[in-house]
Amino acid sequence: MTKTVRLGSRLRYPITVVKLLKSPGDRIKKTEPLLEYSFKWMREVGDKIRGDTWLEEQTTLVTWDSPVDGEVARWLLREGERVTSDRPVIEVREDCSHDIQFQGLCAMCGQDMTRVTWAAETRDTARAPISMVHDHTNLTVSATQAQRTEQELQRRLLRSRKLSLVVDLDQTIIQACIDPTVGEWQRDPTNPNHDAVKDVQSFQLDDGPGDLARRCTYYIKMRPGLPGFLKRISAMYEMHVYTMGTRAYAQHVARVVDPDKKLFGTRVISRDENGNIFAKSLQRLFPVSTHMVAIIDDRSDVWPRNRPNLLKVSPYEFFKGIGDINSSFLPKRQDLLSSAANGAAAKQEEEKKKKKISVAAAVAPTAEALAAAGDDPALTKKQEEEQERQFEKQIHDRPLQALQEQLDREDEEAEKATILSDDSSESRSSSPPSQRHRVLQDDDEELVFLEQHLATLHREFYAQYDAARGSAEVNFDAIPDAGEILDDLKSTVLAGKKIVLSGVLPRGIDIYTSEIGLQILSFGARLLPKVSRHTTHLVVNAAQPGREKLLAARRRPHIKIVSQEWLAACFSRWEAVDEGPYLFTARLVGEEENPQPVVSDDDDDGGGDENEATRSPSGKRPVLKLIGANGQVAELPADEEDPSEGEGEDDDDDDDDDDIDPGVLPDGSFSIESLKNLNWESVDQELAEFLADVSSDSEEDDGDDDDGDDDDDDEDEDDARDAGDGEEPSESETARRRSRSKTPSLAAAAQAPLKRKRNGGPSRGEGDDDNTDESDRDDVAAADGKDAPDRGGNNEDDDDEDDRAEGTPAKRLRRTTSQRGPSSLRSQYLAGAEEPDKGGGTNGLPTPGGSDQTEGQPSGKDEEMADEQEDVGDAAEEDEDEDEEFDLAELEAEFEAELDKDFAAASAAAAGEEGKARVVGEEVAEKG
Amino acid sequence: MFFLHNLERRVTLHPSYFGRNMHELVTTKLVKDVEGTCAGDYYIIAIMDTFDVSEGRILPGSGLAEFTVGYRAVVWRPFKGEVIDAITQTVNPHGFFAQAGPLRLFVSSHLMPDEIQYDASATPAQFTNNADIVIEQGTHVRVKIIGLRTEVGEMWAIGSINGDFLGCLQG
Repeated sequence: MTKTVRLGSRLRYPITVVKLLKSPGDRIKKTEPLLEYSFKWMREVGDKIRGDTWLEEQTTLVTWDSPVDGEVARWLLREGERVTSDRPVIEVREDCSHDIQFQGLCAMCGQDMTRVTWAAETRDTARAPISMVHDHTNLTVSATQAQRTEQELQRRLLRSRKLSLVVDLDQTIIQACIDPTVGEWQRDPTNPNHDAVKDVQSFQLDDGPGDLARRCTYYIKMRPGLPGFLKRISAMYEMHVYTMGTRAYAQHVARVVDPDKKLFGTRVISRDENGNIFAKSLQRLFPVSTHMVAIIDDRSDVWPRNRPNLLKVSPYEFFKGIGDINSSFLPKRQDLLSSAANGAAAKQEEEKKKKKISVAAAVAPTAEALAAAGDDPALTKKQEEEQERQFEKQIHDRPLQALQEQLDREDEEAEKATILSDDSSESRSSSPPSQRHRVLQDDDEELVFLEQHLATLHREFYAQYDAARGSAEVNFDAIPDAGEILDDLKSTVLAGKKIVLSGVLPRGIDIYTSEIGLQILSFGARLLPKVSRHTTHLVVNAAQPGREKLLAARRRPHIKIVSQEWLAACFSRWEAVDEGPYLFTARLVGEEENPQPVVSDDDDDGGGDENEATRSPSGKRPVLKLIGANGQVAELPADEEDPSEGEGEDDDDDDDDDDIDPGVLPDGSFSIESLKNLNWESVDQELAEFLADVSSDSEEDDGDDDDGDDDDDDEDEDDARDAGDGEEPSESETARRRSRSKTPSLAAAAQAPLKRKRNGGPSRGEGDDDNTDESDRDDVAAADGKDAPDRGGNNEDDDDEDDRAEGTPAKRLRRTTSQRGPSSLRSQYLAGAEEPDKGGGTNGLPTPGGSDQTEGQPSGKDEEMADEQEDVGDAAEEDEDEDEEFDLAELEAEFEAELDKDFAAASAAAAGEEGKARVVGEEVAEKG
Repeated sequence: MFFLHNLERRVTLHPSYFGRNMHELVTTKLVKDVEGTCAGDYYIIAIMDTFDVSEGRILPGSGLAEFTVGYRAVVWRPFKGEVIDAITQTVNPHGFFAQAGPLRLFVSSHLMPDEIQYDASATPAQFTNNADIVIEQGTHVRVKIIGLRTEVGEMWAIGSINGDFLGCLQG
């Protein structure tokens, strides 16, 4: 094997080859001179002290030394040749290619590879950079050797018609736990969990992190049907264990799972050999080609480079609440599809949120740094300590025991209840303690499906291979990519489905890059951010469903509202599972069974705008009930913040509106009285700060957004954005902010409260005067009773609206402020009489209007809309209809009169009465 | 190869140990510190005896007493070209690891006779010529050291079984 040696970059080019010292066939050794060359350079000569120097050209003769051992094959240049830059100079038949190295020693010739000489530019250790052996990291091979080895492996697999399967341990095929309770249950046959834990195997490790792990016992529960599964799979696959546990742990578990070492043999790799404690990589084992490899793992985020080859398994949770004991190194998982787990996680998330806000900026870069510095020993130590803490916690807290005790308590209470109702002595004696419910349920059936999938993959792979290989027994060119086959198989599963998620993902996460989103996409479904007429499925997390999306979906009867377990079932079975058992019906309490379907289905905005019909007469948002197919009912509290999906920036922006609404006091109340005493300068400052730091917006959401009444506003805004070309919304946003910042300063300049309001008006009306006035008039007119002009049937709703208007002032204020969309307009208009306090604040506020009007879809459906009442239709469309629905001039005149009257009255009363003050405010806006 | 080697080492003793049996303590500490370690290019296998324990000197600052101890120890120094017996630890497609006492060796597939091939389908995986030679986990092998490298406290070697009377040890 010959190696072409280059001159190297360190020579002083141009050079002239003077003499070749060796001829083909000669033995050469490292650092031995091979050729002589000369180069010219300028040298400063003369008397430096007197400054009498000049440059003189010098010619220097140098030898070029061999960087390798071997035998000269041939020269690639001639004597006398002039070389201007780095180029190949000689071909050498090397004694040893140093393809395999062990701890800096060449495993083929025994030479020390760490020796560095001046002659060679690269280190010999760099010639074998790939670590591909399961159980050692210090044995490295070169690319050629890796390729050779892998081809050998592929040949063997093809001959025996197998594939490689990389198997994760924790929560994929087993679940481990160190809670001593398991051992106690095992020894206690009377315990209700005894049956479940009796085949749990245990071992002790002697190298765990710290004393604690050394002493504790690991309990290993195999997934139901595992031995049979592995046995059948091993006929089709050569299996490797790849775990994030320690080596000792992995070996012990392998011994539990595979006592004869027939299935895995020595093909076990753990985090000790992985070289990275955050991610697994197929390239660690199969550096050249992963075409014949499949992975089964319960986490996909640890396989950043090998997603196509991964068959994601739903995590095995036998020991409830324990999770994966070896995952303390890994980021928290985001991909759980069970409502219970998700709900708990969400709660934790909420609790953490406040802390997070302050440290978020600091934490984010560290997390990245962590990921980058996978091999940092200090970090590893820290992680081990972390794991130890978790271990300690588990041993002391005994989560399983706590769970069982809780269950027992519940049982007892239930029992008491039955006894009380029955009041018979029989039932007391006939309820033996063995009837206790048990925490541990051994009812997992994932492996059945997994086996089918693996068999399908195997069949498909060899079908393609046989078709392509021709007559050759082993044809490497014909090897299809298992990852691609897997993709093909999966992508047909949910093809044609268009899915919207609700409450499944935490806020602020991009659905398209989230774990669940990626999975949905990989199964061929389309993922939509909002409910629209294209949507086929709305997947809700029953623990925390999103309100708007549900409301939007229930108005389109063809959309199936399913629980996320449906999604999980589809993922695990690879088929579009019948939605029947997972279906939800969303129903508003006190409302008729069938909501009015959308009349005009040509809207494409997907806005789940809530409107008047969905409001119960109580004036608050009605309770939305999710009724599952199995009778399960989840209620959506009316005032709950909607845990909507991360929808890009939309969410954040919406929240901004709510948050920096200066009219809302922390306690949710609003009064003009407090505004009088408000220190406008400090408000001004606050606003300035806020605007300077727009990036923090998203962090500060949720906080006081507890009324939830602005949903429709948000939606409308979204609609407008959807209609726009993506740039305008942000512009309008900034415009809005600008106007917002302006308002208080303007107001501060004014002396009297009244004046302030007057000044506040103009800024609000910027760019959108007509509409603003319109809405103000609405309010005023309504405030004066119900003598407002008839507006095409809208007044029919008066009673409802008035009732509804009993919400907190802040809510109504928000409604008024936003004044976007027909529902808010109308509500102001109709409910105005009962809203005594909103005017002043409204006018002190900027208007977020602007873009909404200009972007609203032009529509000529005035009459239709009017007929529809407010329960259907889309806000954006109605925006403009509204304006045209009544005679502007007539109204204006009427309002003018009313306002003047009111203004006079208000001035007289010195704005003491809030209702009057509001009207005054309205008038200000009018005049401004 | 084993040697009886005269060595010298400075042993420090904490003041709390100062007393009549100090020399005994010094020897104990020496044994504890030194036996089984790798000192450069040899392993100190066992200390035979100490023949010269100097008078203790108090180290300024710490108060520890320092003794210079001359001792005789059995040391093992593997040489390049030496033939040693080892036990196979793990087998992989590139070769196998073997342990000769404290020394870890790697024998690559290039340094085996041509007829010995890797067989991954066997359980456990093995190197075999499909006849009398089977090298799997636990097999005793006779190897010739062809390369050695030492680092502080550690030593590694490359072995070869390509030669007469090398390889699998029967019986």
